Amino acid sequence: MLAIDNGPPGVVVISGRLDAAQSPAAQSFLDKVDGTVTLDCSRLEYISSAGLGVLLKTQKRLLAGGGKLRLSGVSKHLRDIFGYSGFDQLFEIEPAE
Amino acid sequence: MTSARTFPRSFDSLPAIFDFTADLFARERIDPQLLPVIDLAIEELFTNMVKYGKGSKADVQIEMTGIEGGVEVTLIDHDVEPFDVTKSPDVDIGLPIEERTPGGLGLHLIRKLLDSIEYDYSRESRRSRITFRKTSAERPGAATAGTRGSNARD
Repeated sequence: MLAIDNGPPGVVVISGRLDAAQSPAAQSFLDKVDGTVTLDCSRLEYISSAGLGVLLKTQKRLLAGGGKLRLSGVSKHLRDIFGYSGFDQLFEIEPAE
Repeated sequence: MTSARTFPRSFDSLPAIFDFTADLFARERIDPQLLPVIDLAIEELFTNMVKYGKGSKADVQIEMTGIEGGVEVTLIDHDVEPFDVTKSPDVDIGLPIEERTPGGLGLHLIRKLLDSIEYDYSRESRRSRITFRKTSAERPGAATAGTRGSNARD
């Protein structure tokens, strides 16, 4: 399952699994954010290409408006996925501690 | 030992598929670090079958076998046209963001993450069969998976 909600100001917290079945819910939440947003991924266990599509669409929209999407708390597995996808060149990524 | 199950061709099958993989990993004591990669590969291949095999009403069969250091997975899709996943083009990950699209990213990713992936198509039975392997062995540089495809095997 996936949970996505507002955290502290400027932060959105996402947890669980961002797969093809859950991506529409994540997209619909992220379509409503503006400015520069940090997506706290420290409890995101899994992402597939459908989830990457959600992040890409959101980043394009925020950059067009002068903001951006930052990714924080990113695990090694997610960093591998972002690296192989070239997303490490499209997003500011802060690794998990 | 091989475990096999069939799943309706719908994105709604994903939770049951992930339960299936988690059960096998626990039962066969497979390295849990491999689980997200296996789930990712199955999801990308299964959702491709759902998206591009709309003419078929057959369920998709998934077989999984614990092998030394990892797992071998086969997806079998009936009553479909051929689509050789080993021959899809690589994604240009160096493009600027304005030119990036999510298309093709799933197959690109799994070729990077898996040890091997093979495709076989039987024209006689209109059946696609994809088999991949993933083991725990470190893979320096993450060379692209060995691939072998066939579009016309009767």
